Amino acid sequence: MFRRNRRGTADAGPAPEALRLVKVSRTYGSDDSAVTALDGVTLSLARGTFTAVMGPSGSGKSTLLQCAAGLDRPDRGIVVVDGTEMTGDGEAALTRFRRERIGFVFQQYNLLPTLTVAQNTILPLKLAGRRVDRRRVKEMLTAVGLGDRLGHRPDQLSGGQRQRVAIARALVTEPRVIFADEPTGALDTRSAREVLELLRDAVRTHGRTVVMVTHDPVAASYADSVVFLADGRLAGEMPAPTVDAVAERLAHLGDGVTAGV
Amino acid sequence: MFVLAMRSIRQRPGRFMATLLSAFLGAAIIMTFNSMHDTAGQRGVDSVSAETLSTTAAVVGGYGTLLVFFAVASTVTVNIRQRTAEMELLRCSGATPGQFRRMVVGESVAVALIGAVVAIGPAMLGGRLLLEMFQDTGQVADSVSYSFGPVALLTGIDITLLATVGAAFLAVRRATRRRPPRGGARTLLAYAALVLGALGVCSTFAFSATDAALMAPPVYGAVLLSAGFALLTPRLLSGMLGRLPLAGASGWVAVRTLRERASQLSGVLMPLTLFTCLATATLYMQAVENDVIDASGVPKSVDAKNLETLNLTVVGIIVVFACIMLVNSLYAATTYRRREFGQQRLAGATPGQVLGAVGVEGLVLTATGVSFGSVAGLAGILPFTMVRTDSVWPEQGLGMWLGIVAVAAVATLGTSLGTARRTLRTPAVEAVALAA
Repeated sequence: MFRRNRRGTADAGPAPEALRLVKVSRTYGSDDSAVTALDGVTLSLARGTFTAVMGPSGSGKSTLLQCAAGLDRPDRGIVVVDGTEMTGDGEAALTRFRRERIGFVFQQYNLLPTLTVAQNTILPLKLAGRRVDRRRVKEMLTAVGLGDRLGHRPDQLSGGQRQRVAIARALVTEPRVIFADEPTGALDTRSAREVLELLRDAVRTHGRTVVMVTHDPVAASYADSVVFLADGRLAGEMPAPTVDAVAERLAHLGDGVTAGV
Repeated sequence: MFVLAMRSIRQRPGRFMATLLSAFLGAAIIMTFNSMHDTAGQRGVDSVSAETLSTTAAVVGGYGTLLVFFAVASTVTVNIRQRTAEMELLRCSGATPGQFRRMVVGESVAVALIGAVVAIGPAMLGGRLLLEMFQDTGQVADSVSYSFGPVALLTGIDITLLATVGAAFLAVRRATRRRPPRGGARTLLAYAALVLGALGVCSTFAFSATDAALMAPPVYGAVLLSAGFALLTPRLLSGMLGRLPLAGASGWVAVRTLRERASQLSGVLMPLTLFTCLATATLYMQAVENDVIDASGVPKSVDAKNLETLNLTVVGIIVVFACIMLVNSLYAATTYRRREFGQQRLAGATPGQVLGAVGVEGLVLTATGVSFGSVAGLAGILPFTMVRTDSVWPEQGLGMWLGIVAVAAVATLGTSLGTARRTLRTPAVEAVALAA
């Protein structure tokens, strides 16, 4: 009952702010060998935006995504998704929080090898105990161009097709925010373009909010804005990014940080 | 490739523990019982002692060897099936399927040899204890000294090697094929086991009621039957699964996973079926045998009582071995599913739901393995009872069987749930990133 109600209020109207991080810090290891992956990051993303998070290796972009998505717990700071603070302790509570609000797309797809395309897509609904509208699932898979592969298993699909199943799976629960971790990292250029267009479409047509971690300036150019990260801190933002501007900025990211210190 | 094989063992000894443990235990069991042949074959052993020793070696050593063969083979199969990711990696770095096969088979030869050699010491100790028990119960003359000779050594090493390498060869051949094979060799093996098993069980009738080796053919037959069933059940299971009325997300995931993994299940079903079958068959036969001795009118002497204990101990060793093998291969099979569990969690499954699905799978497995194991066991018990006594059914109640079922269920569910719980301690993101 409690869960239904909560979902009900969320459905009444999404919060204008899809994601907010306040002074989020995350340190790995202890004492001597401690590595600060995130150092007091504060960030706010409006509903219906497509944001790319960029930075050199080890800049903390994956940690940022995992903390924001409830896959990892920050040591300090607050994470607010769709107007609700993420407070759950324990994996079960966090999982329930996530599946009401968050969808994922990973570089390695993470589809279950034992399930078919259609079964993989409805898995989050099944796990959340929600009703499965088969017609809608079929529509969704048709929309990502896989309407004729419902009974295939992941190992019978190409990388690009697998990633499109993953996107359909992320969209099926109608999440407030979709987190994508290097979604095109393992794909060829053409498949990558299809995947990026689907993500942009989710924002434009369906009003979802997408946060994508990437190191590829081309991928980032599909976003509305790019957030740069260096050494666990925010290092600037770029609205309406182009490939060249992003690449240029990325190349000089190290300089900027040094100059700032 | 041999160098790579050795390096692969040295770098990740943990991955070979399951295979090593099964090779070690298997070789130890075979050598322990077969050293009775060596002991009996020494000069100056009186004929009564020699007969007792070689009967034990032939009967228990015989079906024990058969059990070891199937149990070791299934453990090896479970372990190699999990290495497709590594295989992909090697293929990408330029290894041909043939090279990969040689590597895996080379590894299993090494592991089997290590296991068998390490087993020599414990087997000598076990054999000595066994002989002492025979001497304490007056079955064997006190003057007989223990000998660990060529029969024990050769059978121990040969059977372990044959089971390990044979299974490795079949499993890796299956894994390196691009298209999923139809499992021709497997089906053939299954039917051969069933036919031989049926013959073994029927040949019980050719023995007389007082034959010392009367217990051998029905147990041989039962073990072969259960191995045959275990090889064939996955296919039957995948058909039946669709009709299981399982509700809830965990049930939904479990049924779909089981149906897809059905072909891999025989590795786990094998030890489960073998355990149930062997425990049921040998314990009931021993109970029938004891009753017959009791009923023969001779007042129960201390010796007769000791003999009962001795027989149960010998049977107990084999049953315990079967149970360890069950736990061993289930542990290996579940550990390897860390990534799959991680993916379920990322798709929105709570730890409870993951464990729920594992529990449902465990229940289905237990029900299947116990049913077929019991049928195979019964197929051995009935002919034995008919020849040894006047009745068809043993007089013992269902109590013992229920106990065996309980042990099988606890071992299966306990191992798979306990192992799954442990893998859940790793954060989902890490679990997915780990390569096998």
